[in-house]
Amino acid sequence: MDSAHRVHALPGGARLVVEPMPERHSTSVVLMFAGGSRLEDDRLAGVSHFIEHLYFKGTRKRPSSKEIADAIEGVGGFINASTDKELTAYWARVPSEHMALGLDVLFDIVANSKLQEADIERERMVILEELRMYRDQPQDYVQNLFEELVWPGHPLGRDIAGTEESVSRLTRDDILEFADARYRLPNLVVGTAGSLEHAETVRSVTAALTLPPDLDGAMPATPPPDVDHPHVQVRNLKTEQAHICLGMRAMSYLHPDRYALDLLNTVLGEGMSSRLFLNIRERLGLAYDVHSFTQKHRDTGYLGVYIGVDPGKAVDAVNAALAELRALGEREVTPEELTRAKEFTKGRLRLELETTNGVAFWLTYQELLLGEIKTVEEELALVEAVTITDLKRVAEEVLRAPIQMAVIGPFKRDSAFRLAVGA
Amino acid sequence: MPGRSAAERIRRAIALINSVADEAGDEEITPTEIAEAIRDCLELSEVDAVPNVRRYLGEALDAVSDGMPADFVAMTLYAALGALREGPHK
Repeated sequence: MDSAHRVHALPGGARLVVEPMPERHSTSVVLMFAGGSRLEDDRLAGVSHFIEHLYFKGTRKRPSSKEIADAIEGVGGFINASTDKELTAYWARVPSEHMALGLDVLFDIVANSKLQEADIERERMVILEELRMYRDQPQDYVQNLFEELVWPGHPLGRDIAGTEESVSRLTRDDILEFADARYRLPNLVVGTAGSLEHAETVRSVTAALTLPPDLDGAMPATPPPDVDHPHVQVRNLKTEQAHICLGMRAMSYLHPDRYALDLLNTVLGEGMSSRLFLNIRERLGLAYDVHSFTQKHRDTGYLGVYIGVDPGKAVDAVNAALAELRALGEREVTPEELTRAKEFTKGRLRLELETTNGVAFWLTYQELLLGEIKTVEEELALVEAVTITDLKRVAEEVLRAPIQMAVIGPFKRDSAFRLAVGA
Repeated sequence: MPGRSAAERIRRAIALINSVADEAGDEEITPTEIAEAIRDCLELSEVDAVPNVRRYLGEALDAVSDGMPADFVAMTLYAALGALREGPHK
């Protein structure tokens, strides 16, 4: 991918990123709004996600969800949305000649949704079911419990969909008020990538802008409180497997060491040649699924390890994973491990950017959250510049943070897990 | 040497647990036998001379009663052994 993207300031404070990919047949359009569940207090928990669902229920121009879907699927395209902790995104991928349609539908749903009381009540039931279903998926739910420990009492530590209590209580006025505050042009970055033309895209997007131009008061994201001690939360459930998530706070996406953190994570637990996989699964035979991952936000992040394991081997698997974590801070990774981690990271980024959707999301995300866009070449150069010494230094720093651990499985007691992490 | 007999009894309990985990022994070891081995440790007054030893042994006994896995009980017993080693009776 060459570096053909351009950023345009739009009326009202919105921004537009355009990346022509002339050899493609599709164009992807993303409307990405700053915000997300991080800005919600306990009373409004889940409102961003609720709004995202409701925006597909009908507008004045397209009165039902079927008509919204038909508009895009009628030309073979895709439309969807997602809510995250620091953003909400609506996107469409359409054959390039239908880009104007994609823009029209996306702006229609974010600016003209009816948000009718009947739709709100129906969708409330859907979201409550979604929350309950999630609890029946312990391999996912354990990550939520872990995040509660990493960011206790903070919106970052809460499920994006909110809680059953908050979702049950949200009123139409709550929803309208929050949507009106967040869905404003200064919070918006539009990303486009595909077979398109710069000037025409700027004209089409400018013509489609139909949101209020000014911010309605400040909604600052408060930093999470410090966590000084290790904690363990065990949820006693009669599952066949134990599901364990452990880790500690780490760098944010603005931190200069974020590349070293990602490479450290790759050495530790990304893929079938990572240390966790080779040692815990292949050599010790302790777990079927073991991997590590990072999560990064504006001012915080974490390095986490997931283990899916026979309950009878859970404590041994935890101790083995902790040993692998500690080893990162005790000994330098080998040159071969670093090379593999870099090639893995570079390859994954290139694969991610094969589709117009991947490119549109990548550019829009950078512009919205980082405030600048690095080209692929610049990004890869930063990955390439990380040294073995950097990884050791970052590992030492990350491992100074207290370990947090969540466990779901048939465990009536937590003493051995507490002992393992010193809680 | 004070603490030695307690350490030996804890090691014996750990060995029993490990043989269950390894499915090694010819004879089947029951939770009752493991609980007995831990109670043997608790009977010694020296376990009160070092902080946390009695607590960890008690947690190990509770874990056996609740049917917790062998590695779970062993971890708790290792903690008791570690506390004993780090205590004033080295």
